[in-house]
Amino acid sequence: MKLELGIIPINDIQFGPESKVENGTIYVNADELKALILEDEALKSVELDIARPGESVRIMPVKDVIEPRVKVEGPGAMFPGVISKVATVGSGRTNVLRGSAVVTTGKIVGFQEGIIDMSGEGAKYTPFSQTNNLVVICEPVDGLAKHAHEQAVRLAGLKAADYVGKLAKDIVAEEVETYETVSVKEGIEKYPNLPRVAYVLMLQSQGLMHDTYVYGVDMKQSLPTILNPTEIMDGAILSGNCVSACDKNTTYHHLNNPVIKDLFAQHGKTLNFVGVIITNENVYLADKMRSSDWTSKLCKWLGLDGAIVSQEGFGNPDTDLIMNCKKIEEQGVKTVIITDEYAGRDGASQSLADADAAANAVVTGGNANEVIHLGPMDRVIGYPEVADIIAGGFDGSLQKDGSIVAELQVITGATNEMGFNKLSAR
Amino acid sequence: MVKAIEAYGIPVVHIATVVPISQTVGANRIVPAIAIPHPLGNPALTHEEEKELRRKIVEKALEALETPVDEQTVFEWK
Repeated sequence: MKLELGIIPINDIQFGPESKVENGTIYVNADELKALILEDEALKSVELDIARPGESVRIMPVKDVIEPRVKVEGPGAMFPGVISKVATVGSGRTNVLRGSAVVTTGKIVGFQEGIIDMSGEGAKYTPFSQTNNLVVICEPVDGLAKHAHEQAVRLAGLKAADYVGKLAKDIVAEEVETYETVSVKEGIEKYPNLPRVAYVLMLQSQGLMHDTYVYGVDMKQSLPTILNPTEIMDGAILSGNCVSACDKNTTYHHLNNPVIKDLFAQHGKTLNFVGVIITNENVYLADKMRSSDWTSKLCKWLGLDGAIVSQEGFGNPDTDLIMNCKKIEEQGVKTVIITDEYAGRDGASQSLADADAAANAVVTGGNANEVIHLGPMDRVIGYPEVADIIAGGFDGSLQKDGSIVAELQVITGATNEMGFNKLSAR
Repeated sequence: MVKAIEAYGIPVVHIATVVPISQTVGANRIVPAIAIPHPLGNPALTHEEEKELRRKIVEKALEALETPVDEQTVFEWK
């Protein structure tokens, strides 16, 4: 399966009478987009705003971040099974509005939502301080159940990203990136001497607004399965969760998964990138056991030499991570796990809730308990008062002058477990 | 907490959904719970069925407390 990504660099977003992409700027007719989003009867009102890199702007509580893309050639359209009809995506060509994002906010859905600062200390911790953000502020109708609220905001973000992405359908890309995976048989013939490596992508699926959707399927109701990596670049996997902001994989992260990108960069050179095994993180022990059995079985079946396992969230998913690691290693397949740490504010506590000697190669996204100080901003899009209740915040997090003292976990993407973050020990 | 209480010589039963974590942290008597969002109940059951389920867990936990162990032991209930 071969996918070309046509990269269209975006330097600005503006509101205007006609929605279009021109000379690196996205113009949005706000009324038209608002009307589209408001077709959902679960929403009472929708406002749009723009946050640009370097501005004194804070967005909170952030639910999801989505990169606008559009299918230009090949089967299907973006976000299959949810926004477009079910069809196998991941081949042909997709245009990407690189440097832009849709960010959803509004009345808080779940307490585990995040902060994006466009400048200052907080901007260093989130990759979304570097994107031109079209912010969609959704307010639910009165009395809407939490899960319906979650769905409404999730769909609003995806619709907005789809709307903006489609503006780039006929734009000539500045640069084209090509990604290709071959069948298992072809791979063995083509790269007989290269180690066979797959990516085990763990998806948050604890239910109660901690869910991830694959072609529209709620991942907690699925067994682990295999995807072509390029399917994910076309929106096969969507975030529907309110897990801690620092280590939730937003839809943007899925579209731009750095593990997939790096494995492709080495594909055919130092390794043979076989594909992606997706698995879940459910709340029943039997599910954890079954899914890790299944994942390790698929690793063995694919004849792998190595697997990279990435986690989403923390706490009980640490057990899913360790079970995957242990069982995959038991199949004779070397593993590296990517996680983050909740090691206490002083960093001295045990980093993960579970451990095993088989986890002998670990990459960390950083300590989410580290306390940070975020200075006041000229403008806040959303609700600053939720600083006291979101995960990582505490009573008094929001100071009188508008600054925020909280744990790093409040920042969207700060300790991302795909490695899409900016923390480094260097 | 399990370990700190046991340090005073008082036996403790840890009712926990994720048994492997309970084992990792060093609990000696472990009774599996239902699920992370509802460890001691199951909203999918009727009230009567749920009461029966809860009784089973508590009785198993009491049995575990009375049982001498010389290694980490999981007390399964049916």
